[in-house]
Amino acid sequence: MRNIRRALRITFLVVLALFLHYVLPQQDVARIVGTEIIRTDLSGVNRIFYAQADAGGQQLDTRDLRLINTVRKRTYLLGFVRGGDQTMVYRNEDTGWIYPPYFKFDSSDLQAEANDMTSTSANPEWVVITHYGWRIRWLTVFPNAISIREAPGPDYRPIPWVNLLVLAGLVALGFFLRAMWAQFRERTLDPIADAAGDRIDRAQAGAQERRGRFRRWLDSWKS
Amino acid sequence: MQFVRLIVILAVVLTVFYVCISLYSRSVRRERLEETWDAAPQGDAGARRRFIEQGMADYESSLRKRLILLVYVIPICLISLIMYLVN
Repeated sequence: MRNIRRALRITFLVVLALFLHYVLPQQDVARIVGTEIIRTDLSGVNRIFYAQADAGGQQLDTRDLRLINTVRKRTYLLGFVRGGDQTMVYRNEDTGWIYPPYFKFDSSDLQAEANDMTSTSANPEWVVITHYGWRIRWLTVFPNAISIREAPGPDYRPIPWVNLLVLAGLVALGFFLRAMWAQFRERTLDPIADAAGDRIDRAQAGAQERRGRFRRWLDSWKS
Repeated sequence: MQFVRLIVILAVVLTVFYVCISLYSRSVRRERLEETWDAAPQGDAGARRRFIEQGMADYESSLRKRLILLVYVIPICLISLIMYLVN
């Protein structure tokens, strides 16, 4: 029983961590190589890794997808360790009103910015690309770029303030929910359980009493 | 349509939060009143009940209770801020 509970807890934590890793913004230092638009036919498998059609548009089976081709600085272990260069392709989609809650409606403007900041390897212009999501090659899934800003240089290390705030908020929410649950248990559930326990005790005592009376009546037939 | 969906989801979730937090806050207040009285009781059980009822009536009209409405205000401000920063 304890192992099952432990396995469930670990599974839950892993799923939560993966979800947060997918949804929270990450910042890459990259050099934009070019932009392009490809037509996409999403299947049921990779559909969940894409947002919907541009805000205000209609959802159809197939649509164009804006892509930003870059060369970025490779990162490991949540960005603590830096590696060499690596190509990376970002998609550039409106997240709209729903999920994930970035409320991004300016994909076209972002595409224009990306075009503006395109540079060559001879004369590189480094930028910080804020994005969320994963690159999954065997499903043709791209991370979604949220914003682009100038980077001071290729070795710049952005501090993930948003992630720190969100994680601190989640921890605070967790403690708050726990305090709420403890209060609910102390003030509402325990009194109910006590009352029920009392009633059960009384009922058992009554049954004992009746059985005692019956036994005494039986005994009165002896001798 | 998406906007309507967001509003509906937000309204439902925030209302659940609002109800939970108000119940929690009321419960904490009542517990603290009981503890205050039990630390220095001045009278019988009736006086204790009156003291607690009075304290709860004060709470019902307090600023603290109205502050729980921030549950609705903060997410809307947050969404506005995110929209401003991202777009």
